Amino acid sequence: MIGEKLRKVFFLLIVLVLLQLLPLNTAQAVPSFARQTGMSCNECHTIFPELTPFGQIFKLGGYVMSKTGKPYEFPPPLAGMVQASYTDAKGLISGVAPFDSANRATDKINLPQQVSLFYGGRIYDKVGAFVQGTYDGVSNKIFLDITDIRYSNNTIAWGKNLIYGLTLNNSPTAQDVWHTTPVWGVPFASSAVASTPAAGTIIDGALDQQVGGIGAYVFWNNLIYLEGTVYRTAGNGITKPLGAGTPTEQVVDGAAPYWRLALEQRWENHFFTIGTYGMQADIFPSGNKSGPVDRFTDIAFDAQYQYMGTIEAEHMQMEGEHKAGAGKHIITAHATWIHEKQDWKASFALGNTANSSDFLNTFRMNLNYYYRSHLGDIGGSTGYFSTTGKTDQLLYSSIPVDGSRTGSPNSNGFILEADYRPLEKYKFSLQYIIYNKFNGASSNYDGFGRDAFDNNTLYAVIWLMF
Amino acid sequence: MGPHFTEAVEAKAAETPGQKEEYLMKRILGCAVVIMFLGAAPLLAQSFEGNEYDKGETLYKNKCQFCHGIRGDGKGPAAEPLLGHSVDFTNSKFWQNDVEKKIEYTIKKGREMMPAFDLEPDEIKAIISYMSHTFKKAT
Repeated sequence: MIGEKLRKVFFLLIVLVLLQLLPLNTAQAVPSFARQTGMSCNECHTIFPELTPFGQIFKLGGYVMSKTGKPYEFPPPLAGMVQASYTDAKGLISGVAPFDSANRATDKINLPQQVSLFYGGRIYDKVGAFVQGTYDGVSNKIFLDITDIRYSNNTIAWGKNLIYGLTLNNSPTAQDVWHTTPVWGVPFASSAVASTPAAGTIIDGALDQQVGGIGAYVFWNNLIYLEGTVYRTAGNGITKPLGAGTPTEQVVDGAAPYWRLALEQRWENHFFTIGTYGMQADIFPSGNKSGPVDRFTDIAFDAQYQYMGTIEAEHMQMEGEHKAGAGKHIITAHATWIHEKQDWKASFALGNTANSSDFLNTFRMNLNYYYRSHLGDIGGSTGYFSTTGKTDQLLYSSIPVDGSRTGSPNSNGFILEADYRPLEKYKFSLQYIIYNKFNGASSNYDGFGRDAFDNNTLYAVIWLMF
Repeated sequence: MGPHFTEAVEAKAAETPGQKEEYLMKRILGCAVVIMFLGAAPLLAQSFEGNEYDKGETLYKNKCQFCHGIRGDGKGPAAEPLLGHSVDFTNSKFWQNDVEKKIEYTIKKGREMMPAFDLEPDEIKAIISYMSHTFKKAT
């Protein structure tokens, strides 16, 4: 049995090595966006997946910037990703997912945690896409992951540049270009098997890959970004493919509007952004697809700061040599606050909640620093997170590990992360999450003797792109 | 007038005045057609150049405009976030010296933030044609 597992692991490693050796590009084997544009990954990313200001523009431009004169890409812009991880937290065992079929959800070693295939780049002319298909090594399922298909163009309006476009995506905030909003927020990778707090807002991942949305956006003068998108459940109709492989646990009644406003300002190498975003969704109680609904109204505010360093002057003068769009020292700070009003019009009547209405407040902030050395990029992140809300004994009930003895959704803690990227397509991260409070209490939070610090999680991940 | 034309007219002089007039008219019309054709040549050449211009405009909009701007002033939407500078084609200094070779070299090899582009020689020529006709005039 063990020998068979080892053979499978060895086979997987061989496949990974061969994928790395594929001659995908005459210069170097880097993902599809870099192959399409001829640019370095560092042009668009500080350390992937975090975007630089130029990377934000590339995304708003519809992923279509290309070095060729043709309106299409050949070969198609495909790329891949493999994540393998190790998690250490109380309650996990030393199994190896996906080969330990007995209980993958508690395996410490996830090999792979995730394997993804991307279509990342231009489809035709001004239409491009970021489409991620994922094999989840823990749940042993294949599904359509983050998807964002765009049309984009640019013109002059009131004497200034105007980027405008359409987005078709399957997760609220997947289309956003700042790392303060949930889908692309910090941490960029996290354990698939560790326990996490029970409470979360609707916009904070509850609808991911379960909805399809179409929206329009404008970005004027690199200053004002405005977007409106309408989502509906991807379980039927033309949006059905956007939810492929993901069970629909949250069924939205009709359409759920999403809005986004952001102001960005640059002072030399410093980029500041403040913004607001939110959505309103009417959702059927769990298991229902008709009848009364609960209403969730999320309003959020966010801010981002990026310092992109200084490029040495002599490098700027060299002809025929392409230079990355950032200096040696890169600093990024993110903050977001989400307020959710929960009207339990349906669930309260069904006896699923103790209150007719509740609220949640989520706050997250973090500071990242990266240093680009000749041995690779090295850096890390430190962050704080907090969720507070109204006590509801039925909504947050007392069950082992994931429950709440007090009925309170309150949790908070810190995230520390170290990152090392020796080459553009390899990244190693070591992350530690410290919980001060978990589901309402620091000690015996679930009523079964488990303390908040029992959920402290050590997470190591190897992240390969090709 | 050449000797052959003079001889031909003199030969025709022996014919009736009507025949002589008709012959001269044909000759004059023939010359007019040739002159008109020659006169139209620059226009025809310009129309071919127009095709190249259109091709260059399309390529510029798809490949260059995002950084260098619709107006060629180096202030496209993607130029703002770049730490380097995007070249201003409307600056008269840009068009000094052997600029067309420099543009071609830069497109092929890249420079500073700008990557190398995988374009055909006629595509590069078309872009240069569009740039020189559109932005050089503005200097």
